[in-house]
Amino acid sequence: MSSPESGKPHLLEVINVTKKFGGLVAVNNISLQIDEGERVGLIGPNGAGKTTLFNIISGFLKPTSGKIMFKGEDITKLPPHKIVNKGIARTFQIMRPFRHLPVIANVMVSLKSPRGSRKIEWVKTMERKALDLLEDVGLSELMLEPAENLGYGDLKRLEVARALATEPDLIMLDEPFGGLNPVETEFLTRTLITMHQDEPSRAILIVEHKLYALMKIVDRVIVMHQGEKIAEGKPEEIVKNKKVIEVYTGGTL
Amino acid sequence: MPIKERLADSARMVRGYIVRAYSSFTAKVFDVPPRLLAFLSLLVLLAIPCLGGKYLSMLTYACVYAILAVSWDLLVGRTGQVSLGHAFFFGMGAYSSALLIQYYGSDTVTILLLQTTIPIFLITIPAALAIGVVLAILLGLPALRVKGPYLGLLTLCIPLIMSTITNWHPLSDIFHGTSGIKVPLFFSFLRGNPIRDTVEYYFALTVLFFSAVIIYKVATSKTGIVFVSILDNELAAKACGINVTRYKLLSFVISGLFGTLSGCIYVHLITMRARPLLFDLTYSFLPITMTFLGGLGTIYGPLVGAFIYNFLDQYIMPTYLAPVLDSMGLSTYFGQLRIIIFALIVITIIIKWPRGIARTIVDKLDDLAKPRDIEERGPRIWKKYKKEQKESRLRKIFSRFKKKQEEKEVET
Repeated sequence: MSSPESGKPHLLEVINVTKKFGGLVAVNNISLQIDEGERVGLIGPNGAGKTTLFNIISGFLKPTSGKIMFKGEDITKLPPHKIVNKGIARTFQIMRPFRHLPVIANVMVSLKSPRGSRKIEWVKTMERKALDLLEDVGLSELMLEPAENLGYGDLKRLEVARALATEPDLIMLDEPFGGLNPVETEFLTRTLITMHQDEPSRAILIVEHKLYALMKIVDRVIVMHQGEKIAEGKPEEIVKNKKVIEVYTGGTL
Repeated sequence: MPIKERLADSARMVRGYIVRAYSSFTAKVFDVPPRLLAFLSLLVLLAIPCLGGKYLSMLTYACVYAILAVSWDLLVGRTGQVSLGHAFFFGMGAYSSALLIQYYGSDTVTILLLQTTIPIFLITIPAALAIGVVLAILLGLPALRVKGPYLGLLTLCIPLIMSTITNWHPLSDIFHGTSGIKVPLFFSFLRGNPIRDTVEYYFALTVLFFSAVIIYKVATSKTGIVFVSILDNELAAKACGINVTRYKLLSFVISGLFGTLSGCIYVHLITMRARPLLFDLTYSFLPITMTFLGGLGTIYGPLVGAFIYNFLDQYIMPTYLAPVLDSMGLSTYFGQLRIIIFALIVITIIIKWPRGIARTIVDKLDDLAKPRDIEERGPRIWKKYKKEQKESRLRKIFSRFKKKQEEKEVET
């Protein structure tokens, strides 16, 4: 675990978070830290509580106990939109496009409108920004198409573009490669790597089952199982970790 | 410089101005089929009184209802907040203005600063609009907790409560029961004048035009995009950093404002009395029927729908149905049969064109225009991107893949 030098607080700090749904403990006493510019993978078998943890961090669910700190501020009780404006963006596992809107408008929804400048100017800059983002994820050819006409892979990319449009310091991707074919996966992996090169201070947290693609992107992996953190470390170490193998294969090999 | 050349110069300049103005007009209006249609129908509407309007009052009604329908469409078709009680705004607009006038007790107000006398509705209507905004926020508050059909049921009840209150016997000193409160008309000074109908019609059309333009501007701004995003997926809108609460209330406020306006206009232009009838279910379902006839989630839909509705209800029915019934000796049942047949027509239209008449036509026109669409008339900024589009990164990467594969083949 990398600790920050010179007493700077972690970018995101999850402190002893527990979430119970009735008797079911979805997330059990999880703590994790993410620093600026880190790329962290979160893996675990189905039902491990990864998505619940995502929902807690992004404010859609409130934890039963525990605290979430972002840039040294307590964001546990903030509503989702305020958390987004603080700098945490997320995508959804089940895609949620605005299907009546054209692709470019989908991105414009999450762009922050700059204040003080003249209206026509900011409409133009907004269009420009949205187009740049679409260009980054390779959707600029489809910008006028209503989102309901888009294919599965395109929608995944649209989700990423929409999350990037909020200019986050931490972007959380919930299974970005789910259902994509190898070419699309390769493309999105490259997009994420370029994105990280362009803005090295932006941290990424990814939940993913496609370990091959994931390992290319991340510096550090956290493994969850039944709501608990069972391992944490570099990708190469995690792959050899006995506990992790046991969890994934359902027993000893 | 000789005068002749100067004249020629200025003539050229004027011609240039005209050409530029015309081309910018054509680029803005004629190149967009829905706008062209809107422009043409506006011309037709403006010309109707010149054609000798026997049914002008019908069109005046249509204009007032259209304002109500457009405001309903913004709230329900764009933001997705189901309201089955828009009669609340309609009636409250009428009653706010009427009650203010009743308590002031005179039809005119003298402004001391200007030493002039103005009709009182110039003051009471803005006041009624302000009241409408407050009421819209109050009606919008439940929408933050209740969704979909439940919100519809909740909003359905509110005008019924108001209807009962205004009809209530102990309060008849204030509301005057069923007969309602009398208000001054806008154009009462033209009494007996043959141009009165025409003036009223143009007035209603002007108000409708400006309301529709304002709502169109709102709907195409970023606020409008956010409204649609709330309709499509509230959760995703939150994840995009949208304060959903604020935008829902904003939608209620804008919609309520224009609903109130239509109520004020209705009572001051047409009926002369603010009655409990205005809170009736009819006025809640009028905008819904109109919007579905024209097309949900558009601005032109409810406008067209309002005119179609009034045309069917007030022109087709009396002129074609009444003689048929007379010949069959059923003229006493005209009232009931009219509603039944009208309902059947509406049902047929909605089954045949579920997206609404106007929307079906506009969509077809759009499809016709599509082949030349992006090449020729794509908005300015999108044209700039055309080159970059062609070499988008996706293709670059595909080409890189190909190159690598070729290299591998060469190596092997």
